[in-house]
Amino acid sequence: MKFLRHLTAVVLTVAVIVGLGLLWAHASGGGGTRIGGGPGPAPSRQVLLRLRQIKAGVITVGPADNGFHLADTRNLIRTGEIEAALAAVVITVSAVRRRRRRTRRGAATKA
Amino acid sequence: MAESADLPITGGRGRILARTRLDFWLDALLLVAYTLAYSLGFTGLATHEWLGIGLGAVLLIHITLHWDWVIRTTRKLLRPGGRERFIWLVNLLLLLSMTLCIASGILISEVALPQLGITPPASSFWRQMHDTTATLTLILVPIHAALRWRWIVAVARRLAAWRPGRSR
Repeated sequence: MKFLRHLTAVVLTVAVIVGLGLLWAHASGGGGTRIGGGPGPAPSRQVLLRLRQIKAGVITVGPADNGFHLADTRNLIRTGEIEAALAAVVITVSAVRRRRRRTRRGAATKA
Repeated sequence: MAESADLPITGGRGRILARTRLDFWLDALLLVAYTLAYSLGFTGLATHEWLGIGLGAVLLIHITLHWDWVIRTTRKLLRPGGRERFIWLVNLLLLLSMTLCIASGILISEVALPQLGITPPASSFWRQMHDTTATLTLILVPIHAALRWRWIVAVARRLAAWRPGRSR
């Protein structure tokens, strides 16, 4: 019962965040739904380049891209490296601060 | 993970609490799933999208399991003491960025939603939002985990020594 109560609170919180995001999108005019049928802004150079590459078959999108690329682990390794580096920084800072606190406490006890 | 650090790891006779084990393995699963989901070049678009949707569902359970900690720490925010406040802030930023990342990911879905017969409206706003929040989560997830590294090490050590049905 407690779990369900908490789950409801979490779902409501998430709904509020998503709602705020949708409001933001609506306010900035980028929600993806265009009312009134205007032509909209011209696509950027990158978008046009991507479209040309898709047409030429240089890159694939959609249902063709539906599996693991086991040979391409560079991306996975890079993500792991970034995560490990950031975690290492936090752990080091935390350990140094803890050691300093202990040293200070030890000195205060001796005094 | 946040609340887990405040809970006792072991029950009677040094056995690991079932709740601690659940927290540990669920958190480990989330971290692995997140790392895979972020590595789009490795997973491919379809796996990336389905993994992201699954991650969203498991994240709801993760936050639900730690909702007590959220309420308790939010109430204590005005009291002095920097560490818990910093963790609370990191967790709040992570909740915001992860929610918006998954929501925007669903809204720009090219494979998962069309497979379900839903065609989301294409929008550069949500694409930009997805890119920005994904980068934010990549910074915040390791910080979120590392802030509880002592709990992780303590539970991992216990689990390495623990055998089901054997009291220590």
